[in-house]
Amino acid sequence: MSVRTVDARGKFCPLPIVSLAKEARQASKGDELIVLSDDNAFPPDVTSWCQKTGNKLISVEQLDGHFRATIRKEV
Amino acid sequence: MSADSPAELGRQLAELRERLSQVESKVGKGQVERLSLVVFSGSLDRQIAAFTIATAAAASGMEVDMFFTFWGFSALRDPGKRGQGTPKTLLARMFGWMLPRGSIQLPLSQFHMGGLGPRLIRKIMSDSKFASLEELMQVAAELEVNLYACDMSMNVMGFSMEELVSYPKLSRCGAATFIERAAAGKVTMFI
Repeated sequence: MSVRTVDARGKFCPLPIVSLAKEARQASKGDELIVLSDDNAFPPDVTSWCQKTGNKLISVEQLDGHFRATIRKEV
Repeated sequence: MSADSPAELGRQLAELRERLSQVESKVGKGQVERLSLVVFSGSLDRQIAAFTIATAAAASGMEVDMFFTFWGFSALRDPGKRGQGTPKTLLARMFGWMLPRGSIQLPLSQFHMGGLGPRLIRKIMSDSKFASLEELMQVAAELEVNLYACDMSMNVMGFSMEELVSYPKLSRCGAATFIERAAAGKVTMFI
């Protein structure tokens, strides 16, 4: 299992999700993806993206000035 | 035989299971997770909306088809390319002159203000690091979104494929192709 980080700070809808999707394509099942984003649409969008694609959203944290989502690739 | 005898219930259960598996196999095969967009408008704002939805859907694992028709078609013109081959009719040349040459010239649907509106929107969006329409088209290409150029619009306006942008998944089709693909999909929008 590996951990991949996507820094999508400074990018807005739909680019954080696009960056996440591209990284997820490269990842293997069981890998963890960490996405950093300062887009306010990101927390609901990443939740929906995980629902839609069948990946597991482990957490979304609000850090200093940005969000950090942790996702486990399930499919 | 009464309906609730064990043998009859067992037979009914087997029949229901059989029908359920038929339905499941049909749903699995027939229904593609596909978004079909009709892009009718040639306005910058509506085109941005169309490409934002399209790229978000493609990133979420859906297959995406965008059908460009009438004014929407302007976004696919390549400003650097000219039609070759058969000479254009006067009407076709008029469309060529009057319609925006490519995405960069698209007007706004509101607050166009003689061209000031689109420039302002583009500035605001690039200052706040939103993707421009051209970047969104690039992302759509990377995510393998299919673009279709409406054959009828091309004929009416006198455009040929060699005048259009270089896009990996661009093809020419008619309304029946749209219907066939949209009917097997899940979400359809007209923008």
